[in-house]
Amino acid sequence: MTESAHEIISTKINPGVVPHLHIWEWHIPLYLFLGGIAGGLLLITSAMIVMKRHFGFGPKDQGDGCPCLAVRIGSVLSPALLGIGMLFLFLDLAHKLYVWAFYTTIQPTSPMSAGSWILIAFFPLAVLQAMVVNRKYIEKFDIALVNKLIVWADDHLVKVALLNAHIGVGLGIYTGILLSFFSARPLWSSSILGMLFLMSGISSAAALLLLLAPKDERHLYSRIDANAIWVELVIVGLFVLGGITGPANSHGAMMHLIAGDHLMAGMPYMYWFWGVFVFAGLIVPLLVEVLENAGVHLHLPPVAPVLVLAGGLVLRFLIVFAGQTWHTFM
Amino acid sequence: MTIGRNMTRRDFIRISSIFLAGAAAMPAIPAGILSGMGSRPAGLADEKIVYSFCEHCFWRCGIAVHVSDGKVTKITGSEHHPLSNGRLCPRGAGGTGLLYDPDRLAYPLVRETRGGKQQYRKATWDEAVTIVAEKLYRIHEQYGPGAIAMLHHGYGVSFFKKMFSEIGVNKIAKPSYDLCCGPARQASVLTYGYPSDTPEGFDIMNSRYMMFFGTHFGENMHNTAVQEISEAIRRGAKIVVFDPRYSTLAGKAEHWLPIKPATDIAMMQALMHVLISENIYDKPFVEQHTVGFGELWDSVREMTPEKASEITDIPAEAIRTVAREYAFHAPAAFVHSGRRTNWYGDALQRIRAIHILNALAGNFKMPGGVVAFQKFPLPQPPAAHEHPAYEKEAYSKYPFFPQDEPSNTIASHEIIQQAIAGDIRALFIYGVNLPETMTLGRQAALDALQKVDFSVAVDVLPAEVTGYVDVVLPECTYLERYDDLDNGRAFRTPFVALRQPAVKPMFDSKPGSEIARMITDKWGLHGVFAPTVEAGLDKKLKLAGSSLEEIKKKGVLVMPATDLYRKSGEPLNLKTPSGKVELASAQLKAGGFDAVPRYTPHPEAPEGYYRMLTGRKPMLTFGRTANNRFLGDLATAKENEVWVNTGVAFSHSLSDGEYVKLKNQAGVVSEFPVKVKVTERIRRDAVYMVHGFGHNSKQLTWAYKKGASHNQLISRTDIDQAMGAVGFQNNFVTFVKEA
Amino acid sequence: MVIDTRVCVGCSACVYACKSENRVPEGFCRDWVVQETGGSFPTLNMENRSERCQHCDNAPCVTYCPTGASHYDEFGTVQINRSRCTGCKACMAACPYDARYVHPEGFIDKCTLCRHRLEKGLETACVSICPTRSLNLVDFNNMTSDIRALAGGKEVYRQKEHAGTEPRLVWISARNKPGA
Ligand SMILES: Nc1nc2c(c(=O)[nH]1)N[C@H]1C(S)=C(S)[C@@H](COP(=O)(O)OP(=O)(O)OC[C@H]3O[C@@H](n4cnc5c(=O)[nH]c(N)nc54)[C@H](O)[C@@H]3O)O[C@H]1N2
Ligand SMILES: Nc1nc2c(c(=O)[nH]1)N[C@H]1C(S)=C(S)[C@@H](COP(=O)(O)OP(=O)(O)OC[C@H]3O[C@@H](n4cnc5c(=O)[nH]c(N)nc54)[C@H](O)[C@@H]3O)O[C@H]1N2
Ligand code: SF4
Ligand code: SF4
Ligand code: SF4
Ligand code: SF4
Ligand code: SF4
Ligand SMILES: [Mo]
Repeated sequence: MTESAHEIISTKINPGVVPHLHIWEWHIPLYLFLGGIAGGLLLITSAMIVMKRHFGFGPKDQGDGCPCLAVRIGSVLSPALLGIGMLFLFLDLAHKLYVWAFYTTIQPTSPMSAGSWILIAFFPLAVLQAMVVNRKYIEKFDIALVNKLIVWADDHLVKVALLNAHIGVGLGIYTGILLSFFSARPLWSSSILGMLFLMSGISSAAALLLLLAPKDERHLYSRIDANAIWVELVIVGLFVLGGITGPANSHGAMMHLIAGDHLMAGMPYMYWFWGVFVFAGLIVPLLVEVLENAGVHLHLPPVAPVLVLAGGLVLRFLIVFAGQTWHTFM
Repeated sequence: MTIGRNMTRRDFIRISSIFLAGAAAMPAIPAGILSGMGSRPAGLADEKIVYSFCEHCFWRCGIAVHVSDGKVTKITGSEHHPLSNGRLCPRGAGGTGLLYDPDRLAYPLVRETRGGKQQYRKATWDEAVTIVAEKLYRIHEQYGPGAIAMLHHGYGVSFFKKMFSEIGVNKIAKPSYDLCCGPARQASVLTYGYPSDTPEGFDIMNSRYMMFFGTHFGENMHNTAVQEISEAIRRGAKIVVFDPRYSTLAGKAEHWLPIKPATDIAMMQALMHVLISENIYDKPFVEQHTVGFGELWDSVREMTPEKASEITDIPAEAIRTVAREYAFHAPAAFVHSGRRTNWYGDALQRIRAIHILNALAGNFKMPGGVVAFQKFPLPQPPAAHEHPAYEKEAYSKYPFFPQDEPSNTIASHEIIQQAIAGDIRALFIYGVNLPETMTLGRQAALDALQKVDFSVAVDVLPAEVTGYVDVVLPECTYLERYDDLDNGRAFRTPFVALRQPAVKPMFDSKPGSEIARMITDKWGLHGVFAPTVEAGLDKKLKLAGSSLEEIKKKGVLVMPATDLYRKSGEPLNLKTPSGKVELASAQLKAGGFDAVPRYTPHPEAPEGYYRMLTGRKPMLTFGRTANNRFLGDLATAKENEVWVNTGVAFSHSLSDGEYVKLKNQAGVVSEFPVKVKVTERIRRDAVYMVHGFGHNSKQLTWAYKKGASHNQLISRTDIDQAMGAVGFQNNFVTFVKEA
Repeated sequence: MVIDTRVCVGCSACVYACKSENRVPEGFCRDWVVQETGGSFPTLNMENRSERCQHCDNAPCVTYCPTGASHYDEFGTVQINRSRCTGCKACMAACPYDARYVHPEGFIDKCTLCRHRLEKGLETACVSICPTRSLNLVDFNNMTSDIRALAGGKEVYRQKEHAGTEPRLVWISARNKPGA
């Protein structure tokens, strides 16, 4: 009503909370995190396959066309992690028995509807790719039909991987777009969010591969990771700037995130954002990896990838929570 | 040890949960009413509507009770009843929360000592009623009827009044006189010759200019008044509110004047001063229809707006503006006389000043001014027994206490004092939560309850009072019983209304009509009441040319609108000694009181303390709704807050939402902490808290420990020596931070 | 609806009426009351208003619903089909008015504009209880002269119009002077 309004009493929620509405809890950030990694893994592993198969670059080949061990693991992890993520998504549904309703309709305007179909599309190709790169294990089972499929897919693996790379990017972006379409929530309502989540997904995936890869493969993933972090830092900068310089709604929401004293697990958003996400989750690992790549061996346990992963996780929680604890579009 | 002389004889008994409804019969509570699930339309098929009237406050609006499958599903406003007009206040809509309260009293309880420990025993109705009848009879035999007193509030009391009148017991008090509307009633009697009523006699709907002192309609949710005020707003009326606090009504006002509390009479005198000195009052009306103008002018001559400004903290110019605007809009203008008028023990004079301001506007029986609504003329059947000797006796010692109300023959604080002094030996308490209602302070109420030989509470809930009595009789709620016909309300269209049961009494509770009959039967007085309550109502209605069957259909018989306005030249024929409006009251003068209202200063707060003001929340009525979980469900209904001005909060380092205890000038500290509301909406010299919270009866499982009790913090009372009302706003509190 | 905040006293009768009419479970509500005070002592202003789903013409809750559970009905009001709702809460995140809640039984619930009553020619529960007649049910395609007179010449507004949802609740501001 008036700009100077200073006292609002609502029967709905208590005045200290008005008009904050906490909708999603831990399930959705975890799902977005796992979805992001799954997308990142798919992109990286597909890219590696294409590089190897088409251009011949990459780590040593074990002769079966799979570039390296990390790719083997990553290809399997990608659909597995997404599956776990979707389980969380399912757990979040308040009306679980009606989950079928997603798949009896296509709602072109609903990102969630699009998403639920994308997720369905993701699995067959991602699983197929995982089977191909791991064919030596699967063929042991000697299932005729499966073997046939693998053989066929192996012949077209570059094309499958190219397609998968795109799906991976799509999935990564989707985890951000899902939120950014909600124009009612000013923090989310930023077109950069898709890119941010994509890059964070890639850097997290690289970090995960870095953790899992045998020693001789690490160098490569460390470079991928360092580059992804670098790009991600730039995007974070754009995201923050875009918010601060935006209209009152976005400005307020961004300040709530980067300077807010609202608590998450007992610590204000501000510390989580700058301290945990930006500093510990991006800058420190970037420095470590740049140094490692430059040949300065710190002989540290794999802190950098762990920090990146933690940072990625915190980012999802922060964005999801801060987006909800700031009021809807005013 | 002499029984009845030991102050600690009656331990407070915590009613065991097996005597409450919850443990016994929770399954009887229809799912979906308190924790409603599913969607409604399913239940609509067999819905029936029972018309009755509300008991969530004393306005008595007509309700339509929707019953489906033997359960009350919702309550809406009766479209036939003039006071509700199809609409309700929130409390009226919340009756299911009382009906299905799992904490309701379910069985009669009798105090007994077992193994040195006092406890309640579940009793049959026959046992409990036998004890009540015998004890009362014995006290009556031994000490006479004057040793028994009844305190009551609520419409079901009529049967008990009749019961007591049969044995000549005549000490009957309603706290709502002393603490509530007594002064407004008596001020009207003294000025206009007739008592003010409910709804108060103002033509709100047609008014152009309305002035309110404190009266906070909108929070005080008197349904009809709120309906009329909103209609007046739509028609363009202006509102003026004098209130130390920015009330909801102040939020709608053209002028909000944050008057210094306890200085209202000075303000009213100043308004009179302007009206008279600027010659803008209704001279012809004053000359023809009033007496005492000279004396009035003498008394306000000195009270210039400048002088009043110093006293009231309101700029002189604002006082002039309001007086002029008031005169400009007169006679379609009035000053409202308020409802809970007892603030500082001088309310009789304050409300007289209001009536005088009305007379100066010449608004009597004018559209938009003061009007006299009519009651439905219902012939009363002759009383079955007569006790002339007792009934003539007046008990109150206050000279201007009403002489015409058999339901209110003595001030309730007099009963408390007499009980403490040992003159009253039995207390019969109907629908009054004594420890939280009586404002000679909580302690005096408890002392009285300890002291008497025998006490009974008729109640629906395990309210605090039920822990201190000898016998607890569980009445069923207003939705489960017949009561007497309501023709006590005067309004535009006179009416008589029926209270009828919408559902059968739950548990082992019974209607008051039956309880009273059982007691009189035990006394051997048969035939006091009609054979059934229905037969009694039918008989009364037949005398008025109707019948129970007819009134049941709409719950009300309504007469056409009466003519409220006077014709020019019409004599007023008032029942005052002079037959005119008494600006100066010869009666008061003869009694040794001021004939015209005069401002006298009241005590000021000690350093660091603030005057404690009180009021209402729109969705609650103290004890009646405190445990109502349906009404209590909203964030704004869960507790009371103490309103503290931003500057005061700063100087005490209080922050919004913090919990503090309050301590009054006598050192009493609130039992429970209360939430601080830091606000611009109140003056710096006062704090405000809604009455009816901070219940310490654990059996009120919902209300227990929510907020702080206003009543507990009252240590000082100011009794109006003319008419016996009790003011309690000369109490001051400060903040005690939680360790 | 046209909501006249000049007369609303914030009593919440509309909230309770809705709760019992629609069996809204404990702790939840389909409509709610806001009391907003501005200024500083002693120059204050206040507005009381009863809020609920705005039945937006361009409702993001419908747009974002992945299952079609949230939809427009034939009268243009926004409704939820409980037997298609997954409880994914996308609609809640999408609504700029915070009008929805998760019903304990899992589906999403909000004001239905008492569709079941409108179908019978009755006013909504909240409208019919309101002691101040602050709530007025209005067919904007078919405005009566009463409603024109009520809102005519007064300061009226819609909430968060720039959110682009085309809300269908219209508010008569409490700032209107008497007799405006
Ligand atoms: N919802 C709801 N409605 C109710 C009730 C309820 O419990 N709940 N109770 C009913 C009953 S029994 C009664 S008696 C009425 C009471 O209703 P009212 O008669 O309206 O209430 P009061 O308690 O007299 O007045 C409270 C207002 O007076 C202001 N005030 C306090 N001291 C002073 C003063 O010295 N000068 C001035 N000018 N103002 C002052 C307070 O700030 C507050 O706003 O409400 C009735 N209506
Ligand atoms: N401190 C303080 N004290 C006050 C006031 C204040 O503002 N502050 N306000 C004063 C005013 S204005 C008034 S009117 C009085 C009101 O005083 P009361 O009417 O005594 O107040 P309640 O707390 O409503 O007590 C009502 C009791 O009746 C019971 N009851 C409810 N329904 C029924 C029923 O159908 N039958 C029976 N038998 N019992 C029933 C309730 O359980 C409760 O115990 O309080 C006065 N006391
Ligand atoms: S004003 Fe409200 S509580 Fe009082 S009788 Fe009317 S509906 Fe009931
Ligand atoms: S019932 Fe009417 S007056 Fe009361 S809060 Fe609701 S809209 Fe306002
Ligand atoms: S107010 Fe919210 S829930 Fe209602 S139609 Fe608009 S967007 Fe949907
Ligand atoms: S919660 Fe139900 S109504 Fe809301 S978007 Fe999901 S499926 Fe649609
Ligand atoms: S229209 Fe019906 S559902 Fe909507 S708020 Fe009013 S009572 Fe509730
Ligand atoms: Mo009262």
